[in-house]
Amino acid sequence: MKTPELVVSTIPHVHGGNSVQKMMINFMIALLPAAGMSVYFFGPGAIVVIAISVVSAVAWEFIIQKVMGRPLAISNLTGAASGLVFAMMLPPTAPWWMICIGTFIIILLGKEVYGGLGNNPFNGVLIAWLVLQMSFRGEMAGWIYVAGEFLTESTPLEILKFEGLESIPEYFTIADLFIGRTTGFIGEVSAIALLIGGVFLIVRRVISWHIPVSFMIGVVFLSGIFWLMNPEECADPIFHLLAGGVFLAAFFVATDMPSSPTTPIGMLTYGFLCGLVTMVIRQWGAWDDGAFYSVFLISMLTPLLDKIKPKAYGR
Amino acid sequence: MKVGTFPGGLNLGSIASDTSTFHEVPSSGTVIIPLKQYSGKACEPAVKKKDEVKVGSIIGESTGNDDASVHATVSGVVTNIFKKYPDMKGGTVPAIEIESDSKNELDVTVFEGTDIELIQKAGVVDLDIDAVPLHSKIALAKEKSVNTLIVNGVDVESQFSSRAVLLSEYAGEIAAGIDIISKLLGVTSVHIGVIEKASSAISSISSACSTAQVVGLKDKHPQSLRELLVKAILGKEIPQGGIPEDIGVTVISAETALFVARAVNDKKPVIERFITVAGGGLSKSKNVLVRIGTPIKEVLDYCGVSVGGAGKVIIGGPMMGTAIHSTDMPITKETTGIFVQNENEIAEFPSGVCIKCGLCIDICPMKLMPFLISGLSEAGKYAMAEKNDIHGCNECGCCSYVCPVLIPMVHWIKFGKSEIRAQRSSE
Repeated sequence: MKTPELVVSTIPHVHGGNSVQKMMINFMIALLPAAGMSVYFFGPGAIVVIAISVVSAVAWEFIIQKVMGRPLAISNLTGAASGLVFAMMLPPTAPWWMICIGTFIIILLGKEVYGGLGNNPFNGVLIAWLVLQMSFRGEMAGWIYVAGEFLTESTPLEILKFEGLESIPEYFTIADLFIGRTTGFIGEVSAIALLIGGVFLIVRRVISWHIPVSFMIGVVFLSGIFWLMNPEECADPIFHLLAGGVFLAAFFVATDMPSSPTTPIGMLTYGFLCGLVTMVIRQWGAWDDGAFYSVFLISMLTPLLDKIKPKAYGR
Repeated sequence: MKVGTFPGGLNLGSIASDTSTFHEVPSSGTVIIPLKQYSGKACEPAVKKKDEVKVGSIIGESTGNDDASVHATVSGVVTNIFKKYPDMKGGTVPAIEIESDSKNELDVTVFEGTDIELIQKAGVVDLDIDAVPLHSKIALAKEKSVNTLIVNGVDVESQFSSRAVLLSEYAGEIAAGIDIISKLLGVTSVHIGVIEKASSAISSISSACSTAQVVGLKDKHPQSLRELLVKAILGKEIPQGGIPEDIGVTVISAETALFVARAVNDKKPVIERFITVAGGGLSKSKNVLVRIGTPIKEVLDYCGVSVGGAGKVIIGGPMMGTAIHSTDMPITKETTGIFVQNENEIAEFPSGVCIKCGLCIDICPMKLMPFLISGLSEAGKYAMAEKNDIHGCNECGCCSYVCPVLIPMVHWIKFGKSEIRAQRSSE
């Protein structure tokens, strides 16, 4: 009897079928509710921004990988996912050239110069966003009116910062903030849509709960202290949680895999520090919202936070 | 009933659907019996070429504490004594080839002695992933004054069901074996860990074995490993690099208890093995009773499994088993089950760049950082790998299973361990 040819290889002999592509598809699906809400409130301008951002990100990824002589990795969809989350962090009137500059920075300075996905120390989306925020201050604040009775072009946090706490009820209620009937970046306005997407991501285990939850605890903790000390001038923790980019940053930006810690305690610390820094910027900083900037700052601590190892079995 | 479990691990689906009884694989023409089917050193052959042997004749006798007797499993003539036969765990072992006269005559020599001598003479080893000769295990346990016995009723991997079926069908004999072992050890408490879904196994063993406490366990890979049995049942952890005996616990498998009862009460040696055959296009896994020494291809033929070109035959399960190069290899006491993959089912691990998603840390039952240890081993930084507890890894395969960029982490960890061993031995 002839022995069949057999394959010999190391364990395990099976794989669960998980892939970066699947994770990114889930990631983009999770952003759809927020994208849908933005189109509902901001009109077709939002769709245009999203489309330009996603298409240009994929195009830049293709071009840059070709030029650098790297194997093409568009099919893992990280470029498309970066483009989508980047669009969420832009105003609905963002001009096309600015978006293209941004996506170029995401792919080149955020990813490929370091050797591709996985080797990047920072979240490319945040690098691009910060460059645009510093270079094109006006374009990055191109808010538009939201359909409804509240006539303001300012975001809730701008009103808090420049007009004071007592003016907020003239324009927004907490329910408006929750649903997203406010001005702001495309994807950050609707807390409920982001919450749905974020829970979806946690259930599908694309992200773990540690970073979003501790991020929000950090925001509530520090804003709670400010509010208890001075309730006349400081907004309450619920307002700070719902206004601005906390939900978007906590679920979709801070959880960027290469630039966030991997261990449970590391993730909890990272999220909590992000929340604290967000509130520090909101309270004392020049910017009205620090949610994205804080993530960028704290991601510098990631290599350090990754040193906090879980307690190994039998140790 | 309280359900025990451990953090991390994988749910790989329910235990195999086949809960039918064991089918006996007919005895073959020729058997090849390795003289080392356990962790330890090989026995000296006790027979010469052209000797006649009967079922149960000793062909390799145990002399010390790190070997176990080996018996003929068919009656017939010794046709060959191989000095170097491939060992499933790597390296070579001496082996004896016996051509069967298909009469299956029993050897009438009766073993005599105390219980522990009978266990040694019958060649009982702990029939689990590392098959330690049972008499040496008992001696070690006594030396370390063990007070707790855990009987492993969890199948080695989720795809297998032989242990669960054994517990429900041979509950009486297993209970008798557990009594013998606990008397030998002088233990005060006995726990039997069984997957909670295997309800018939739980009910039969609970009624057969009144002195032991049956603990239901969640169906999660790798619950069958002793580290996690201890964790799930007692809530204790074995110190890293140590053995259960260090914390006063001995773990033996359910089959071992069965063969102890047969060795002590019926004076019968271990000449067969209860295993599951799964995969390979079988709609249902099959539980079989196989004589030791039977070539694997005969077992596969009996089960109706065809191994296509470039398929994989795995001794053990798909997560922790060893792929073998040839189906001529015999069934031994170390064979925990057979899993077959066709060509299109084989998983490949081309190893992308780690994206630090943290899934491996999340899943690791030993609470390690698999991506870090594997990366350090790959880079040759063994001292760093040791600092990050490379020796804490029990090679269950969970990390590679969930990895989105398909890094063969277990491979690199095993590689790192072997390099460290090589460095130590050259020093």
